[in-house]
Amino acid sequence: MRTIQDLRRDEKDTQSLRSRSGVIFFFLLILIISGVFKILQLTVLDRNNYEAESDKNRIINLPIYPARGLITLEDGTLIAENIVTKDLYIKTKLYETSMDQVAQLHDKVLDENRKIDQLQAPIQDEEKIWLARNLSEQELAKYEVQKNSIPNIQLEAKLRRYLPHKNLFSHVIGHLGLINMDERLSLSRSEYPDDSFIGKVGLEKSYEKTLRGKAGIRLMEVDVYGNKIREINRVSPDKPFNLTLTLDLRLQKIAQEELANRRGAVVALDPTTGFIKALVSSPDYNPNILNGSESGSPVSQSSLEDSPFFNRAISGLYPPASTIKPFIGLLGLEEELITESTIVEDKGFFQLKEEGRKYRGWKEDGHGRVDLKKAIVESSDVYFYELASKLTIDRISSFLLRFGFGEISGIDLINESKSILPTRNWKLGNIGEAWFVGDTINIGIGQGYISSTPLQLAVSLSAIANKGKIFQPKLIRNNQLEDYEPDLLMEVQIENPRHWNIIEKSMISVINSWNGTAHNLYEEGGITIAGKTGTAQIKSLTDQDLTVREEYEGIRKDIKNRDHALFASYGPVPDPNLVVVVIVENGESGSAVAAPIAKRLIEQYQININES
Amino acid sequence: MNNRNPLDYSLNKPLVTSFNPFRYLFKDITLVLALIAVLVFGLAMLYSSSGQSFSMVMRQSIYVFAGLIMMIFISHLKPDSYKNVLMHSYWIGLLLLIYVLFNPAEGYTTSRWIDIGFFQFQPSEIIRLILPLSIVAYLHRKESKIRLEDWLYTSLAALLCSYLVFEQPDLGTSIIVFTSGIIPIYLAGLPYRVIAAYVGMLAIVSPFIWSSLLDYQKQRVLTYFDSNVDPLGDGWNIAQSQTAIGSGGFFGKGYLEGTQSQLNFIPESHSDFIFSVIGEEFGLLGITCLFIVYGIIIWRIFKIGLSAQSPFERLACCSLGFIFFLFILINVSMVIGIIPVVGVPLPLISQGGTSIVVHLLAFGVILSAKRPQL
Repeated sequence: MRTIQDLRRDEKDTQSLRSRSGVIFFFLLILIISGVFKILQLTVLDRNNYEAESDKNRIINLPIYPARGLITLEDGTLIAENIVTKDLYIKTKLYETSMDQVAQLHDKVLDENRKIDQLQAPIQDEEKIWLARNLSEQELAKYEVQKNSIPNIQLEAKLRRYLPHKNLFSHVIGHLGLINMDERLSLSRSEYPDDSFIGKVGLEKSYEKTLRGKAGIRLMEVDVYGNKIREINRVSPDKPFNLTLTLDLRLQKIAQEELANRRGAVVALDPTTGFIKALVSSPDYNPNILNGSESGSPVSQSSLEDSPFFNRAISGLYPPASTIKPFIGLLGLEEELITESTIVEDKGFFQLKEEGRKYRGWKEDGHGRVDLKKAIVESSDVYFYELASKLTIDRISSFLLRFGFGEISGIDLINESKSILPTRNWKLGNIGEAWFVGDTINIGIGQGYISSTPLQLAVSLSAIANKGKIFQPKLIRNNQLEDYEPDLLMEVQIENPRHWNIIEKSMISVINSWNGTAHNLYEEGGITIAGKTGTAQIKSLTDQDLTVREEYEGIRKDIKNRDHALFASYGPVPDPNLVVVVIVENGESGSAVAAPIAKRLIEQYQININES
Repeated sequence: MNNRNPLDYSLNKPLVTSFNPFRYLFKDITLVLALIAVLVFGLAMLYSSSGQSFSMVMRQSIYVFAGLIMMIFISHLKPDSYKNVLMHSYWIGLLLLIYVLFNPAEGYTTSRWIDIGFFQFQPSEIIRLILPLSIVAYLHRKESKIRLEDWLYTSLAALLCSYLVFEQPDLGTSIIVFTSGIIPIYLAGLPYRVIAAYVGMLAIVSPFIWSSLLDYQKQRVLTYFDSNVDPLGDGWNIAQSQTAIGSGGFFGKGYLEGTQSQLNFIPESHSDFIFSVIGEEFGLLGITCLFIVYGIIIWRIFKIGLSAQSPFERLACCSLGFIFFLFILINVSMVIGIIPVVGVPLPLISQGGTSIVVHLLAFGVILSAKRPQL
C-alpha cells in the first residue's frame, strides 16, 4: 500500500527529476540553437554556393575531338586520312604486377617481328602503357581467344592518321606524335589531353590548328568515382578543314623513284603560280609508323645514317655551284661590264695579278676564247672568275638578294633553312675576317660562302623563267576560289628586258648545243628546256702542283667527299610551266645524274597538263 | 494526466470508455504512430541512399519488424518483472566489449565489430542503451534511498564501458557511451558535492588523457576547427554532406533526385550521413517535418515518464528520452559540421539492424511505464 510518505517522496523525487531534466535540456538547447542556425545558413543563406558546388561535383566537360582534317590532291586523291586502329594497353599502375600477362601477350598474340622491333618500345603516358599499336587482323583474332586469360591488358580503338602513299609524301605531310612537355605548356589541356597526338613536322604541324579543328563539349554527369552516368548536353565540334595539296602525284612518284637509294632532293614548282608540284627529299621515312597507324620501323636500315628525317629540299644547304652562273651573267650585262660578245681568253686558270694565286677552272686546258653564251653552255669558270672580280661582292649580293638568295621563301612548312648570301658584314660577323677579292671570285662560280636550299634555288630560278616575277611558293591551294590569283612574292626589275632572253637562250643551249654540259638531254623535236648544270665541291681543291682532275681523283675515293650533282632548269620554253631543281648528294655529275631527273619531270608534267 | 484517479469527479467525462483494442495493444497510439512514421520514412530514405538497393531495405525491414514486435511485447511486461534482467544485462554488454577487443571482425582497422557469421554488429551500439537502463535498474533495485557507494559504483561502471570503447579505439563513441551512462546517474539525483569532486578530478587528469590519444583521434577532433585541413579525409566528408544539404535548399531536389547522394559523393550516405540525403532530397521543409515527428516522440516519452508511478519508470523514461534526443542532436550536428565526426547513426533511420532493434527495445521499456488503459 502506498502511504502518504510514499506520495511525498514521489512528489519530491519528481520535482528533482524535473529540475535536473531542465538542466540537461539547457545544455541540449545550445546544440539545438547552433544546429538550427547552421541548417538555415546551409539551406537558405549559402544555398546558391552549395548548388554550384554540387554541380561542380557531378558535371564534367568532356571534349569531343573532330576527326583530323583530310589532305587530298586537287583531283581528290587522298594523301592523308584517318583510319581506325586497335591498340593494346595496360594501366601503368598494373604494369609491374602483370609481367606474366605481358609475357603471355608476346608469346601468344603478337607477331614475331614485334618483339625484335626496337623502335616499337612501349610508349608511355600518365595512365596507360601501350604494348602494341595497330594490331593486325591475325593478332586481333588471337587476342579475342586469349583475352580472358590476360584481363589486365585492354583493347582501345582509335582514329589515327594514315597516309596511303606511305613514304611518298613524308617530307611534305610530316607526322604526328604524342604531345610533349613544351607543347603542353602552350596549349590548353582541354583541347590537348595527355595522350593526344599533335603535328610534329611538315604540313601536319604548320596547319595543326586548321586540321585539328575546334573541339566540341559534352557535359557529362559523373559519380564520385568518375564513372559517366549520362549525357546532359552536347556542343558538336566544328567541322575540321580539309586541305588540298598543289602537288602532282605522278611527278612526286617519279622524283621519289629517281632518288631512291640516293641522298638528294627535288623541288618542282609552277613558276606562273608558285604552286609546288613535287617536293621530295631522299632518303624518306614512313610517317604511318610514327602516327601509330602502322607497325614496323619508320626508316629502312640502310638509310639510318643518312638522316632520313631531314628535309633536304627545304632545309639542306648546298653551294649553288655553276647554277649561279646565269644570275652572275645577267648582272654583268645589267652593269654593262660585259656584252653578249665580250670575249675572255680561258687558259684554264685565272690570276688577279701576274704572279698571284691561280684560280683553276674545272677544265685543265681551258675553254679558249669564251663569250657569255659559251661560258654558260660549257660552264667556263675562268669567265665568271673574271666577271665576279669586276662586279665586286657588294653588287653581287645586292643583286642576288632581289632573286631571293639569302632569304627564306616562306613556304607553308616549318624548318625551312635560310640560305646564305654573304656580304662584307656577314663575313666580318660570322667568320671574323675582312672580305677578300678571292672570296668574290669563288662566289662567281657559286662556291665559297654562298649556299642555297633546293627550294630557294627553284624560287630564284622562277624569276628567270618568268622574266622577273616570283610567286610565293605554296603547298596548299585555297579550294574555295576557282580563279586563283597567284601571290606575288617579289619582282625583279631589270634595265634591259632583252637580257632575260640572252640568259635564257644560253641556258637552252646548255642542252641543245653539241658542246652544252647537258647535251645528253637533247632530243630531236623534244621539249625545249632551259637549264644549268652544277657540280658543288665539298672539299676545296687547293694543291697548286696538281691539276684539278688529279687532285680530285685522290679525294673522290671517299664517297662522302664526292661532288654534289646539281641541275636547275625550267621548261618548256617559251611559256615555261615547271621549274625543277635537282640535287643529288655526292652524285658527281650534274648532267649525268641530276639533269635526266629534271627532264623526266618536265616531260611528264606536259602530259599531265594535256590530260586535264 | 491520462491516468485519472477513480475518485476524480471534477472532469465531466465517463469513467470507463469503450474498449479500444489498439489503445490496449500499443498503449500510446501517438508515440507508436510517430515511431512507425519515422521508421517507414527511414526505409524509404535507405532505399534512396543505398543506391536503390532493395535487398538492403528488405534486410532493414526485418529488423524493424522484429524490433516492433519485441517493443510491444516488452511494453506489456511489468517493469518489476524485468528490472533484474536489465540490471544484469550490464555484464553481457561488458563481456561483449571485452570480447570485441580480442576477437574483432576481420577487414577493419579498428576493433569495433563482432562477426557472428550471418551478421556483424558493434557492441558499442548495444552498450549505449544497456548501460543507462542497467544503471537505472541498479539505482532503483530497492525502495530505499540511494547510498553514496551506489553513485560511485554506477559512475565506475559507466567509466569502465567508456574506457573499453576508447580502447577499440573509438573516441567519439566512448564519449557518447559515458554520457549515456552519466545522464541517468545525474537525473537520479547525483549529489552536487559528488559532481564537484568529479569535476575536480577531471581537471587534474585531462592533460594526461589528451597526451594518450592516438594521432587519428586527435586528427578527428582537430577537423572540427577547419574542414579544409584534409579535403579527402573527414573534412571532405563534411564538405560533401554540407554541399548536399545546402544544395537541397527549401524544397529539396526530390526523392531519388539528389545528385550528391545518388552519385555517391556523400560518404556513408546510408548510415551515419543519411541526414544529408534527407536534406538534399527533401530540403529544409523535409528536415523540419522530420524534426516535428522526432519532437512528438520526445514529447510523448517525457509525458509518459513524468506521469509514471514508480521512480524506476520515471527515471528510465527520462534517461532514455534524453539519450534519444542527444543521439539525434549529435548525428545532425556532425552531419552539418558543427561538431567532429563521431560514429552515431540517426536513430530509427540510419542503416544498421542492431541500432534499430536496441532503440525499439528501449521504447518497449518506455511504453511499459504507461498503465494499460481499458
